[in-house]
Amino acid sequence: MSKTITIDPVTRISGFLEIKAKVKKDKIVKVNASGLLFRGFEKMLKGRSPLDAVYFTERICGICSTAHAMAATLALEDAMKISVSLNDSYIRDVMHGFEFVQNHLRHFYLLSMPSYVKISSINLVGEEQYRDYRLPEKLNKKIEEHYIKSIELSRLAHEGLATLGGKAPHSHGIFVGGVTVNIDAYKLEKVKSIIKNIKSFVSTIMREDVEIISKYYSDYFKKGKSYPNFMTFGIFDKYEDPDITYVKPGIMKDKIKYPLDSNKITEQIHYAWYKRDEASVDTTRGALGHWILIENKVINHYNIITPTVWNLSPKDESNIPGTIERALLGTEINNIKEPVEIGRIIRSFDPCVSCATHLIGSKGNPSVIEILV
Amino acid sequence: MINTAKRFAEDAVIMVKKKNEKMNAIWLEVTGCSGNIISLLNSENPGLYNILTDMVNLTFNNTIMGAEGDFAFEKFLETLDTEFILLVDGAVSTKENGNYNIVANYKGKKITALDAVQMAGGKAKYVVAVGTCASYGGISAAKPNPSESKSVKEVLNCPVIKLPGCPCHPDWVVGTLAHLVSYGVPELDDEGRPILFYGVTIHDTCTRRGFFDKGIFAQKFGDEGCMIKIGCRGPVTKTDCPRRKWNGYVNWPIGDNTTCIGCAQPHFPDDMEPFVRY
Repeated sequence: MSKTITIDPVTRISGFLEIKAKVKKDKIVKVNASGLLFRGFEKMLKGRSPLDAVYFTERICGICSTAHAMAATLALEDAMKISVSLNDSYIRDVMHGFEFVQNHLRHFYLLSMPSYVKISSINLVGEEQYRDYRLPEKLNKKIEEHYIKSIELSRLAHEGLATLGGKAPHSHGIFVGGVTVNIDAYKLEKVKSIIKNIKSFVSTIMREDVEIISKYYSDYFKKGKSYPNFMTFGIFDKYEDPDITYVKPGIMKDKIKYPLDSNKITEQIHYAWYKRDEASVDTTRGALGHWILIENKVINHYNIITPTVWNLSPKDESNIPGTIERALLGTEINNIKEPVEIGRIIRSFDPCVSCATHLIGSKGNPSVIEILV
Repeated sequence: MINTAKRFAEDAVIMVKKKNEKMNAIWLEVTGCSGNIISLLNSENPGLYNILTDMVNLTFNNTIMGAEGDFAFEKFLETLDTEFILLVDGAVSTKENGNYNIVANYKGKKITALDAVQMAGGKAKYVVAVGTCASYGGISAAKPNPSESKSVKEVLNCPVIKLPGCPCHPDWVVGTLAHLVSYGVPELDDEGRPILFYGVTIHDTCTRRGFFDKGIFAQKFGDEGCMIKIGCRGPVTKTDCPRRKWNGYVNWPIGDNTTCIGCAQPHFPDDMEPFVRY
């Protein structure tokens, strides 16, 4: 006897996602992930002024727009052979860093916590669909208070970004050639004080909450396992000072690290884009690539591969499941009427489906569009 | 000025307490980047927690709600039989009968963004288009508009309050929401925008207006002077950004030495481009 569980909407992620999981003898044996939004940014960008790509691509995503501003700007600088001063690189990375922090705080508290902690004081969040809440009342209440507190801190991360970039989301300020902000004493102190506040929250409160969840849901260290392969385009890595260098580009295969050879990124993606101007940079959710071809002063071709495209891709031509699909396969469902495991595992990847802009063509039925998310 | 939204919100909270009943609301994310709900999370006068506990009873929102799947969509359906406010975040894709954007699969039936907006729009006490995509189509409808996205007004036969902006400033939504639950519909202009927030152009109250009046113009980002010659859309864009500012009222695009790109305008982005002229 098998049963197919459909979760749509998968809420508490950015964008629209449907998961279908076939369960046989309490185990997931088949998974289908579908992205349910297509706007066609790559088509829209054709013919536009190249400089407009910075603000235009930001609007792919409401929660990680600065990542696209970074990638678009780097791709344009590659095309125009423009280099950026060290100071401007610092400021850009601080802006992008604020976006990381905003994302991670929101991912941990607003998006993930309601699956582990009862948030009873807000109707919208506290609806009890599943009963697998394991924290003692006192600890549950404590993390609920931190959930509320985190709203302020993630807001503050965007305030830090806006101090340097005018507004957020869809910030200004990162532009071809550097940044537009004139740093003064007020802005510097403002940014420093915001970082101090957030750091204090993360290193005490949030860290403790991670430990509490890890203790009461320790079985999840073994659930949702996917391929032992990882890839980074590098982030905060353009400095000579090792103290502020974060991650260099590279891959990890079966626990062994190798340098990144971007020519080996699958032919389908890279072949057509060989010799195009490009930018590859890690963002909150992983590796982001923008490829641009400028002809007659306008964009002739623009290609965007987002982190969620890597993580949430469906089966490939040889029928190998995508990363999130693989993570779900084999997962034991404790109670088929309350399959809480599925959402928890999906959200651990922090999917951002708004970003997944990529269309790979339709197969036969014209009313079905296949979207590579 | 920046206290307008706060003042209405305070009034609303008092009235809600008196009535001892919060009006229901649905925040429906459709064809867009979900950036307007992220902007709402940045609200601080009042903050998100107070909005959700003291002002309205939000019953459905993809980004925040605890529930998922059928159970979540049932909250949407249950709300339709009550008195509620519909807030739409995003344009509405109409291509292939709306199949370019599906918001739920309820008991085996695909619910498109178009279905959901029409189901709720027909029953809502008030419909609010939050952001430029919902108000005018916005970037989701940018040429060649592959998803055939339309504004909320274009797919509904009822009045729609428009709160454009990419994203919409949290004060504009919260102030409007507070006005709706306490006094009803705020005064709107011909396009359906609250005059309170969209009454004057950016150019009217711009911090660089003095430069324009003296004929001092910037040639590139970072120069002193009015940026009209490098493409600033402040003269045509109606919002209160110069005085309200963004994110803790700390800064705004022109304050960051960049042009206003007219993100709250009809026909943004197509008719507002190029965003910068060099």
